[in-house]
Parts: sequence; C-alpha cells; structure tokens
Amino acid sequence: MSRALREIWLFFWRDLSIARTYRTVFVLEAIEALFGAAMFYYVARFVDTPALQNALPQGGSYFAFSLVGFVFLDYLNAAMDTFDRGLEEARDTGTLEHLLITQTSLPVFVAGSAIYPFVATTLRIVIYVAWAAALFGFPLHAANWLAVSAVLLVTLLAFSGLGILSASYLLLFKRGNPAKWFFLGVSSVAGGMLFPVSILPDWLQVVARLNPVTYALDAMRASLLGGAHVAALWRPLGILLIFAAVLLPLSMSVFAWSLRRTKITGTLTHS
Amino acid sequence: MSSKGRQAIKFVVPEAAISVESLAKSFPPARSGWRTFFQPFEKPTAVALAGVSFEVREGEALALLGANGAGKSTLLRIIATLLVPTSGHARVAGHDTIHHSRQVRRRLGYHAGTDHGFYARLTARENLLFFGQLNLLSRSAAAQRISQIAEQFQFGEALDRQVRTLSTGTVQRLSLARALLHRPSVVLLDEPTRSLDAIAAAEFRRFLKSEVMRQGQTSLLFASHTLAEVELLADRVAVIDAGRLLACDAVSALKRSTGASSLEEVFLELTGRDSSGSTGERAL
Repeated sequence: MSRALREIWLFFWRDLSIARTYRTVFVLEAIEALFGAAMFYYVARFVDTPALQNALPQGGSYFAFSLVGFVFLDYLNAAMDTFDRGLEEARDTGTLEHLLITQTSLPVFVAGSAIYPFVATTLRIVIYVAWAAALFGFPLHAANWLAVSAVLLVTLLAFSGLGILSASYLLLFKRGNPAKWFFLGVSSVAGGMLFPVSILPDWLQVVARLNPVTYALDAMRASLLGGAHVAALWRPLGILLIFAAVLLPLSMSVFAWSLRRTKITGTLTHS
Repeated sequence: MSSKGRQAIKFVVPEAAISVESLAKSFPPARSGWRTFFQPFEKPTAVALAGVSFEVREGEALALLGANGAGKSTLLRIIATLLVPTSGHARVAGHDTIHHSRQVRRRLGYHAGTDHGFYARLTARENLLFFGQLNLLSRSAAAQRISQIAEQFQFGEALDRQVRTLSTGTVQRLSLARALLHRPSVVLLDEPTRSLDAIAAAEFRRFLKSEVMRQGQTSLLFASHTLAEVELLADRVAVIDAGRLLACDAVSALKRSTGASSLEEVFLELTGRDSSGSTGERAL
C-alpha cells in the first residue's frame, strides 16, 4: 500500500513539475474563474424572482444554485476526461510504452495519472467559489466543509469509473469519448445542474432519479448551501458509493482487457 | 537423485537470459473509416513472426539482423511485454512474458531507439528520477545512479536542462541511461543508432561496447540493419527475414557456413536478395 501511495505521489510530482513550467496558465485560469462567477451573478440577477427562489430545493438565490451546478459540472468533466486525456498524452509523447514496462501496476498507473488533474480541478473550483463569495455574495456561512469534502470525494470515485471506461474506449478505437458525451448530455438536462429537476416532465424526472449526478448535486448543494451533515446525506452518498463499488472494478477490468487487446492487435501506440 | 545432486545440475545448466520458443505473431489487417470499430476483434492474418526460436545466454550480445519489416521490432516488443504473441513463448530469466510480466519487466531495460518517450518540459534529471523510482529505486539511490551514469554517458551538463532543449544524440543517451538505471540483467535495444548521425552513432557504439558490455553481466539483444554495428557489438547474429529465423551463430561461423567473405554477403546469401535489396532467385 505504501509503495502504491509513493508511486501515486510520483505521478502527482511529475504532473505538478510539468504544470509549473506553464505558470501563466494559473493566472489565466484565475481570471477566467472571475469572469465565470461574474457571468453567473448577472444572469441570476436577470432571472431571479421570489417565485424562482421558492422553487429551488435549498431556497436562496439562483446565483448560488447555478454556480454550484456549474462547478460541479467542471468536477464531473474532470472525472470523465482525465483518464483518456492522460492516456492520449502518454501515447502521443511516446511515454506510454515506457510507463508500461516499469514496475508500476495498472491500477496505480491509472490512479496516478488522474491525481494531479483532480487536485488542479479542486483548486480551480475553490478559486471560483472564492471569487463568487468575495465579490458577489455567494453564501458560504452555512457550508459544512467536512460534508462538502465527502461529497466531492465520493463523486470523484463514482464517476471515475466512467472516465476509465472512456480511456478503455480510447485504447481500442483511438478517438472519442462517448461515455462523456452521453453522460454529460443526459445530465445537463436531467441532472439538476442549472435548473431543478422538479420542473421537468414526469418521464424526464424518472431519468433524473436514475441518474447519479442528480444525487451528487443534491448532496453538494445540501452540504455547501444548506450546511447538511455527512450523516444527513447518507442516502445520496450511499447511492454514489454503490455506483462506485460497481463501476470502478468493472471499469478497471475493461481497461485491463482493452490493454491486452491492443497488445494483441499491436495498436498500443497507434493514434 | 538426492536434493544435493539436483542442486548441482541446476548450477551446471544456468537459465538462459532470454529464451524464445516457436514464437509466432500475426496482426489483424489495418482498417480505416467505420471498419476501425471491428479492428480490435478481427482475426490476425498478417504474419510478422513465424515460429522463431533462439536463446541469449547470460552476458551475451545477440544481434537481430534483418531488413525493414523482417520482424525484429515485433520480437523485441514481445520480450518487452508490449505485445502478446499469437503462439509460442518468450521468457526472460525463466519468466514467461505473458504470465509473469512483472518479473520480466523487473529484469529488463528497453531502449526503443527513438528520441521520444520523455516528458519534454521536465529536465533530464527529473525524467530519470521519475522512471528510476517507478522501477523500485529509492529517490537517493536513483539520484546517485543518475549522477554515476551521466558521468559515464557524458551528458552530465545536460542533466538540468529540459529534454525539449537537448539534441537527438543526447536524448538517445538519456534513453539508454533510463534503460540501464535499475541495473537490468537484460537490455533490449531497437535500432539504437537509427536517428543518429555517423559520428554520434560511432560514439554510441563505442559507449555500448566499453561501458555497458564490459562487465559481462548484462545480456544484450539488439535489432539493427547496420552491419558495422552488428559486427562490433554482437557475439552472435540472428538473421531474420519475413518473420523467419534463417540462421543464428557467430559472425565467423556464419561466414564459414555460407562461404561469404563479409556479413553483408552472409545476409544476402541467407535471404536470397541481390545487392540492390530486392528478393530474387538465389544464384546457384
């Protein structure tokens, strides 16, 4: 275990060292976050009405509701994008083969490649929320940070399985990320990102209830805006954990199988 | 037989560093457009290796000599655990490349002969530290080994420069250094001087001969179609053509058996090519 953690740390150190050579990116992302927060603030000012606020699950402003939905989308995007992007980069730079002939195990290789992008995304979200709180009155006074952290962690675990499946698809077919396309497409409508699922027609509400994104977003808003404790979030967290428990081992098996197929077909380094 | 007797036999017959047994590899046909969706599941029909068998002894250097597409790289990549053979076995120190791939990788150093495979924005030292530690060296052991190997390979001044700023020759050395960092017992080199100019290639060969093979503990299997390189480095030469092993012996023995006066003539004689490189009827 300690060896696995040490190796995951090595991957993190590698990606951090590379990121440090692009310092202006940090500054540009912080500025982008400022504009993003401003955009949501002014859209909310334009559409917010008392009736709309009453329709929101935790009450409060549409600004807080939509910003949480948006930053959550960023997180979901990272969980589903990181694995195949890391794989694509390794393949294109020629490091993939050299990584695969080291002593690193496949799960460590997969987890290690994802750790820095997850940390960077978390940092980006923190900056987003910090701008929103400092300049536009995003309400942080009620947040339960332990519960927020738990929700983020469980969300990453739950949706990383889909990201690993996407990476398997990339290994086999070389281009595309259909899991991301499908899942984010469905979730943008039936996930409660920018509007509550209660306004959807009945059949779409059924889709939303089957979609784990709905539970993750509910839990995130409840902990960040409503101050809910971890214990109060047992149902959404439990559903996400079940999702992770099924999908993570399944996706790792599919990834290992896909890797073996590429070693059979000789297409490991093909793009 | 007593257990003492069995131990004695084990001692007399050491495990080959590399053992390749009836190794065959075929690839599915290349597809384009919508047919690429079926490629991972297609039957392999293009033969790259057709039942190759040989051994590399401990401390020996064996050259794979063949034209482009002969199957040299495929063979090396199977031994490096990067390809799965269609049939047959490849073993490193007795470990099967499919069933014990981790034990195989532990003993292997692999240099693909290109200047790719590094993180361009990391320094040479950072790259080597990363790969060295993934091969179970501690950070301090990796750092010490990097300094030692950089001195031997004469790229010490390049260690703290980003890889993207280094010349092709220096990156080639770096790649060989990475292959040797964890002191592997078997080193695989795939056309190691492919992208080097004549001077850099000669220097690289001199380095391999004097620094890597001097101690006689490292077994070397390398692919090349540079005859001078093969003659300088190899104890034995395996001539491969169209996926078949045509001969495997010392250069002098190959010359004797074919009646040729040079390795080039040996190659042409064995492969039935004329001096322009095309395969024609063998001259009687």
